[in-house]
Amino acid sequence: MFLRLVADSFSRRPRHKLLTGAALALGMAVATAALSVSLDVGDRLAHEFRSLGANLLVTPQADSLPLEIGGVDYRPVNAGAYLPESDLGKLKTIFWRNNIVGFAPVLEVSAQLGRESPSTDLSDRTDVTVIGTWSQHELRVPDGSTYVTGIERTNPWWTVRGRWFLKGKAECVVGASLARRLNLNTADVINVGVFDPTKMVQVVRPLSVVGVLSTGGAEDQAVVTSLSEAQELARRPGEYRKLYVSALTKPEDDFGRRDPNTLAPADYERWYCTPYISSIALQMKQVLPGADVRVIRRVADGEGAILTRVRILLWLVTFASLLAAALAVGASSAASVIERRTEIGLMKALGAGSGAVGFLLAAEQLLLALVGGGLGYSLGILLARVVGQKIFGAAPAFSFLVLAVIVGLAAIVTLIGSAIPLRRASRYEPAPILRGE
Amino acid sequence: MPDRKMFWRVVRRLLAANRGRLFVILLALSAGAAITAALLNLQIDAERRLTTEFRAFGPNVVLVPKDSSSTASGTLPESAARSVPIHLPSGEVRVSSALYLIADVSVHSSGKATSAVVGGLNPLAFVTISPGSPNRTEANHSTENVCVLGVRVARQLNAQQDAELVLSVSSRRESCRAASFKETGGPEDDRIEISLRAAQRLADLPSRISTIELRVPGTPDAIQSYVADLQRRIPEADVRPIRQFTQGEATIYSRISGILSATVGLVLVLTGLCVMAAMTNVAMERRNDVGLMKAIGGATRRVLRLFLAEAAILGLTGGVLGAAIGILLSMWLGKAVFGVAAQPRLIVYPVAVALTIVVAIASAYPLRRLANIRPASVFRGEA
Repeated sequence: MFLRLVADSFSRRPRHKLLTGAALALGMAVATAALSVSLDVGDRLAHEFRSLGANLLVTPQADSLPLEIGGVDYRPVNAGAYLPESDLGKLKTIFWRNNIVGFAPVLEVSAQLGRESPSTDLSDRTDVTVIGTWSQHELRVPDGSTYVTGIERTNPWWTVRGRWFLKGKAECVVGASLARRLNLNTADVINVGVFDPTKMVQVVRPLSVVGVLSTGGAEDQAVVTSLSEAQELARRPGEYRKLYVSALTKPEDDFGRRDPNTLAPADYERWYCTPYISSIALQMKQVLPGADVRVIRRVADGEGAILTRVRILLWLVTFASLLAAALAVGASSAASVIERRTEIGLMKALGAGSGAVGFLLAAEQLLLALVGGGLGYSLGILLARVVGQKIFGAAPAFSFLVLAVIVGLAAIVTLIGSAIPLRRASRYEPAPILRGE
Repeated sequence: MPDRKMFWRVVRRLLAANRGRLFVILLALSAGAAITAALLNLQIDAERRLTTEFRAFGPNVVLVPKDSSSTASGTLPESAARSVPIHLPSGEVRVSSALYLIADVSVHSSGKATSAVVGGLNPLAFVTISPGSPNRTEANHSTENVCVLGVRVARQLNAQQDAELVLSVSSRRESCRAASFKETGGPEDDRIEISLRAAQRLADLPSRISTIELRVPGTPDAIQSYVADLQRRIPEADVRPIRQFTQGEATIYSRISGILSATVGLVLVLTGLCVMAAMTNVAMERRNDVGLMKAIGGATRRVLRLFLAEAAILGLTGGVLGAAIGILLSMWLGKAVFGVAAQPRLIVYPVAVALTIVVAIASAYPLRRLANIRPASVFRGEA
C-alpha cells in the first residue's frame, strides 16, 4: 500500500516531480562540478607552475665562490669543483622520483669563437660563453629504464628557431643577440676554442649551428651545445658544474619548515615522505655525493604562496556553490510539500497518523533526492570534464569522495528542506484544509 | 490619473498582504544578490591581487646597458632609474638599481680573504629568506657601512654576525659590518650586498649603475605594454622582461583566472536558478488572485503588469540590500584569503542589482500561463 501510494504520487503529477527533480539535479550538478574541479586544481596548478622552470639547484659542495656578473662567470676554468655526470641517473631512484619533472646539468666554459671554416688560428675571434647541457637526453636509470630530460624541461621559456642540437653530433644553437651581432644563421659552421696560456694547449671544436636560441636573458649572448662538447672544450670529461632540477612539490607549511634534524622519528618519517621541497632536496643530496642541493627560494616560495591562496579561494567558491545548491534544493522540496496541503488533509481525514504522513512524504523526497542527485552527479562530472579540459587540457580524476559528498548532501538537504513544512503539515487540522480555507 | 494611482495602490496591497511571504521572497532575492555581488567582487579583486602575489617571484623586468656584449663592462647613468614611471593603475612599480663588481673581501678580525661579487644596491634591502624563518623582514637602512652577506660567502669567510669586512679593488678600500645574511638559492648566495654609494666609490664609477631591476605589478598584457613604453623612454638601455617569470606567470595567470571564472559563473547560474525556483513557487500561489481579478473584469495584460511591477519592486529592494551585504562579505573574504580587504568595485553593485531584478521578473514569467485561466474553474477549486 505504502509503495503504491508513492508510485501513485509520482505518476499522478509527473510534471511537478520532474520540476523538483530537475532543480535538485541542477544544483547537485553544479556542486559536483565545483567540488571535483577544486579537488583536482592543486595538482594541476602545481604542474602549471613548472613553467617557471627549475626550483632546485645542485652545485659542488667544495666549489669556490662563483664570480658571476650578468650571467658570465669570471672564474678561470680550472678553479672550483665539478660533479660527475654518471651519478645523475640516481636522481630517478629517490623516493619522490616521480615528482622530478626534469633536470639538466650545465657546464659553462669561457671560450673564443671564430667564423672561418676549419682553421685553428681563430684570428677573428670573439669572447663567448659556451654552455654545455642536455637536450632531449636519454638517460640510463640504474633500474634499467631510460628517462628523457633536458634543458627544455627545466627552462621552458627558452625557445629555439630551428632545432635543438643532437647528442653526439658537433652541433650547437646560438643566442639570438650573438647571432645578430655576428650575423650567424642556421647551417653556418663556427669554430669554438679554448686557449690555455699556461699549458699552451688549444682545443678547437667546429660546431654547426642548427638553431637560434632566444631566452630574454644572458644566454642570448652565448653558444649552447651538448654537454659532451663543452666537456671536451673544458677538458673536463664526464663532469658538470651546475644542475637544474624541476620538481613538483607541496607548498611548505609550518611542519615542512621545521628543521628535520630536530624531528622525532615518526615526524621525520612523515616529513621525508611528503613532497616538501626541502625533503626532495635532502633525498637528492643523499644520492649525489659531494653536491650541495639548494632550493631556489625565489621560485619555490612564490609558488607556495600563490598555490595556497588559490586553493583557499577555490574552496571558498566551492563552499558558496554547495550553499547555493543546498538552498535551491531545500526551497524546491519545501515548495513541493506545501503544494500538497489538500492531499495531506485528505489522508489525515481518512485516518492516517501524522507519523505515517510524514514518513510517506519523506520517502518520496528521498527517492527524488536519489534519482535527482544521481542524475546531477553524472551531469556535474561531465561539466567538470568540460571545464577541466578547457582550462588544463585534462579532465579531473574520478574521486569517490565527490560521489559520497554529493549523494549525502542531496539526501540531507532534501530532508531538511521538507522537514519544516512537513512538521507544519503533520499539525494540519484536516477539516479547514478540505473546506479550502 | 486615477488609473495609475489605483495601479500602485493594488501593488502596495499585494506587497503588504502577507508579511511572512514578503519576508521569504526578500530573503531569497537578497541572498542571491549577496552571493552574486560577493563572488563578482572577489573575482575581480582576486585577479588583481594575484598579479601582486606574483611579485613574490621578485623582479620581472631588468634594464641593462644596450651594448653590453658578453662582457658586463657597460654601465648606465644612475639618473636612468629616475625616469622609470612608478605609478601604474595596477599598483606601484618597485625600482632597485645595482652596480656589480668583483672585489677582494677579507674579514678584519680573522684575516680570511676571498674574491667575491659585490653588489651595490639602492635601496639596500634586508631580506631574510631562509628555510627556518618564513617571515621576511624588510627594512631600508640608509647607513653606509653595513652589508648583507650571501650564506655561501659567509661560509667561505667564516664570518659571523656583525663581523667587520674590508672590501678592496686595487688601492680603493671600503669597510662594512655584516648586518644580516641572505639565503635565496640564487646568485645572491655568492654575493655581498652593500650600499650603492660605497660600491660606486669602490669601482670608481660615480653615479653609474650596471642594472635596474623592476617589480612591475599587473596582468601579463599590462607588463608587456609597460616594457614597450619603458624602452621608448629610456633608449640607452635594453629593457628585458625576465621571461622565466613573465611567461610562466602568463600561463599560470590565465589558468587561475579561467578556473575562477568558470566556478564563479557556475555558482552565479545556480544562484539565479535557486532564486527563480523560490519565486516561481510563490508566484503560483497567486492563482486565486488572478482568477478574482479577471472575474471582476481585469484585462489580462493589466493583471500581468501588476504582478510584474510587484516582482520588479521586490527585485530592486532585494538587490539593493543583498548587493550591499555581498560587497561587505567579499571585503571580509578578501581579507581572509589574501590578508588584504578586497576593494569594493563600484561596477559590481549596479550589475548585481540589475541581475536580481531580471531574475525576479523572469521568475514571475510563469504567471503568463495564468492569463488563460478561466476564473470560474479557479473558484471551483479545479487546477
